[in-house]
Amino acid sequence: MAHRPIPSRRPEALLALLLALVATAAPLAAAELDPEPILRGLARPAPSRTPFVELRGSAMLKQPLRVQGEYRREADGRLVRQGTSPYAETTTLGSGEAVIERAGRAPRRIALAQVPELAAVRAGFGALLAGDRELLLRTYDVHASGQRERWTLRLVPRDPRLAAGLRQIELHGRGSELRCVESQPARGELQRTLMAGAAAQAAGVEDPAALAALCRDPAA
Amino acid sequence: MSGARLPRLGLLLGWLLLLALGGTWLGRGLNVEEDLRRFLPDPRTPAQVLLVDELGEGPGSRLLLLALDGAPPARLAEASLALRAALETAPEIELASNGEDRGLDAVPEHLLPYRYLLSPALRAQALDRHYLAQALEQRLQDLGSPVADLVEPLLPSDPTLETLALAEAWQPPQAPNRQYGVWFDRAGRQALLMVQTRAAGFDSAGQQAAVAAIQAAFARVREGLGEGPAPRLELSGPGAFGVAIRDRTEREMRWIGTADTVGLLLLLALAYRRWSMPLLGALPLASGGLAGLGAVALLFPGVHGITLAFGFTLIGVAQDYPIHFFSHLRPGQSPRASVRALWPTLVTGVASTCIAYATFLFSGVEGLRQLAVFTIVGLAVAAASTRWLLPRLVTPARRDPARSAPLARLWRWIERLPRPRAALGVLALLALAAVALAPGGFWQNDLSRLTPVPPAELERDARLRAELGAPDVRYMLMLQDVDAEAVLQASERLLPVLEQARADGLVEGYDLAARYLPSQASQRQRQARLPAPEVLRAELDAALAGQPFQDDAFGPFLADVEAARSGAPLQPSDLAGTPLQLAVGGLLLEGQGQATALVSLSGVGDVQALAARTGAHGAQLLDLKQASESLVAQWRLRLLAALGAAAVLLAAAVWWALRTPARVLRVLAPMGLSTLLILAVLRLCGVELNLFHLVSLILAAGLGLDYALFFDHAGDDRDDQLRTLHAVIVCSLTTLLVFSLLALSSIPVLRAIGSTVALGVLFNFVLALLVARRPARAEAA
Repeated sequence: MAHRPIPSRRPEALLALLLALVATAAPLAAAELDPEPILRGLARPAPSRTPFVELRGSAMLKQPLRVQGEYRREADGRLVRQGTSPYAETTTLGSGEAVIERAGRAPRRIALAQVPELAAVRAGFGALLAGDRELLLRTYDVHASGQRERWTLRLVPRDPRLAAGLRQIELHGRGSELRCVESQPARGELQRTLMAGAAAQAAGVEDPAALAALCRDPAA
Repeated sequence: MSGARLPRLGLLLGWLLLLALGGTWLGRGLNVEEDLRRFLPDPRTPAQVLLVDELGEGPGSRLLLLALDGAPPARLAEASLALRAALETAPEIELASNGEDRGLDAVPEHLLPYRYLLSPALRAQALDRHYLAQALEQRLQDLGSPVADLVEPLLPSDPTLETLALAEAWQPPQAPNRQYGVWFDRAGRQALLMVQTRAAGFDSAGQQAAVAAIQAAFARVREGLGEGPAPRLELSGPGAFGVAIRDRTEREMRWIGTADTVGLLLLLALAYRRWSMPLLGALPLASGGLAGLGAVALLFPGVHGITLAFGFTLIGVAQDYPIHFFSHLRPGQSPRASVRALWPTLVTGVASTCIAYATFLFSGVEGLRQLAVFTIVGLAVAAASTRWLLPRLVTPARRDPARSAPLARLWRWIERLPRPRAALGVLALLALAAVALAPGGFWQNDLSRLTPVPPAELERDARLRAELGAPDVRYMLMLQDVDAEAVLQASERLLPVLEQARADGLVEGYDLAARYLPSQASQRQRQARLPAPEVLRAELDAALAGQPFQDDAFGPFLADVEAARSGAPLQPSDLAGTPLQLAVGGLLLEGQGQATALVSLSGVGDVQALAARTGAHGAQLLDLKQASESLVAQWRLRLLAALGAAAVLLAAAVWWALRTPARVLRVLAPMGLSTLLILAVLRLCGVELNLFHLVSLILAAGLGLDYALFFDHAGDDRDDQLRTLHAVIVCSLTTLLVFSLLALSSIPVLRAIGSTVALGVLFNFVLALLVARRPARAEAA
């Protein structure tokens, strides 16, 4: 029987990130050497939008599911994930709940408190876009590596309860462009989302290795 | 003198030691019951039976409503999650819920395959290829959605997500709003939780422990929250009220008791100018109280809390016995001679009161029988110790109240007062008219009016109840039949009627056992519709064609459906030890050869229409308020019958003691007229009478009887009249002090007792003085 406990909930972490969505960009004080300019460069005034290509792998699937669409940060701070292919689905993250709308179905409402990974992963870069460094650093240990034009940010959850479900998130980018999010759950497969320029380049690319390369090596 | 002092001291110490030993024994061995059922008459109607059940162990009475506020919603939600987790491990708490969606946890693991028999979704839907293909398409989209992590672990065994459908169907029927995944009020300012205690509603010690556990858990949660505004916790519900009332009663009784003690000591010291009098004066009452308690403890399995309260009120009259004795002490007469002269009068009062209370023994209510034993033994022991023990402890008096100048002046003034005859008759008629004609109800049967829950808190309780969709505490529907299966089937037939009633606005919500546990017949029907393994395998394969799922991804699903198809249908007993047992157990009561299904209602609109519609389907409307009021009325009827008999017996006893009709009339008239006057004053003040007023009226009558008997005993002798006047003034002042303080209490029960007895003392004192006292002979110099 496929019964396992629902992954532990960590409301603080996701709340922090959610708040970050709504928060205005705070002036950044100099602290760590590397991440600061990157974080500063990633902050975008709302509203903003960016295309994505997400690859969802599962032991139950023959090959990863590929979903395309765009992320939008609305003026009121909500983060919208609008999938357009292979089917239409809109997820709106706001005031503590996610609303999932599909064509011909009643909207499904899910409290973010129940799926901290949802908020931690999906809204992680939303916090970056909002530029709330303080909340981000409270939730994650942030390590930067690479160069200014080809960087990687590694976010490791500080809270052990969140860490029980999520090992780390890696963000790859170029200058002020976030190009890929890789999240590694504690159990299960690595999940990859290509964004912005990388999403555009992924059009027509099917090979998993090529997609992975697109994600990790923006210069490629 | 010094020769007499030693045995006196020995006797005093011996007496105190005996009281201490008795007190210790009772303190250890006495089993005080809080269960109201012991004090009520035997229930007769089904509603009464249920009420008595509900009062004792029903889930409604064990429900506590919790509200968290005073912080931002996100913080409240966090506190709510932590509090629920903390309460889950508390031994005092059976169940704590806050609306948190617990996914798989909502369905006990060994019952998981049964989802295909329990879920309402499959009532009309077959598990065919079209349905499965549709479900698989949705699941694929789920995997590509942000909730993938939540859904993925369920999929292999449950591609149609029947588990979630079931968890959703089992949510409270009127689930409150949710924010951040937990229940909130409509305004979004308070996080709400519901807690079911293990202890019964009227087990106030158990409720106290539960409330303390909740508060302790909340304190820990608040500490763990970190910096920021601290949330506040509000508790509501019968148990919380009970604890609050108990605390408040204890607090008020503490200051009233302290004020009483100080006042009594001062009064007695002032009246007798001897330090020993207050101490000695307390001994008979203390002995009587302990003896009464001991007798009840020996004769009955447990003493009810209300027996104690009523009993100590009633034997308060014994406080007067030593006072009468002290006021009749005078130089030149030994204490023993004084008490011997007084004894016939004292014994007349005690005996007639005891004979009157004896009628309670035949009332058929256990609580009243206990009360009778308590008061009879208590009064007899108090009187006997005043007669035989107290005189040996008291030293001969140095002063005679009859020689007191102020008292003599007062007495001369009283002598000049007119002796009303006709005027009293008119007064009696006026009082009778007031009693009969005053507007407002005569009796107050609503038990809840006696509880000093402030209206604001009751309002808050009602609001929380409405927000949480908690069941109505007054109305329920009931279905009865020979066994659980029969009532479950009847419940299923009732379901569409209820749904229609909800659509028509007769009721906002309802809950019944069949919502969780379908009848065996329905479960068999669903089993018959489940496909055989090979059929399901073929249908699933067809549905999987063209989908990106692995071919063997859904093996556990096939196994679960087969387990549901071939297993025995679920019975109520299979739910033991699961969270479902709580939901079903409270709504499905199985007895010897009979089962009862309850339908709890919330937001009841039109009761009559609801009763009419559901009545056609065999459901009976229960009005628990009406049932409780009928029980109280029944109790009062028995009490009144006993009182009627008591009055006759009392008059007969007095008659037998006094022999002359004129004296009997002079002694009984003040008491009767006072009772009438108290009733008139209460009625004119708009007070509706309850049981506590009745018991207080009995005490007032007992006091009045004693006053009148002693005035009668004094005869026409001026000195004796002066001493009696002294005694009755001290008696009535002490009683007035104690009961006027009670009348100031904020607790309706204490106020009822206090005001009634205080009025009674006033009226009885004045009337005894004017009616029972004989005109004195010429003033002796």
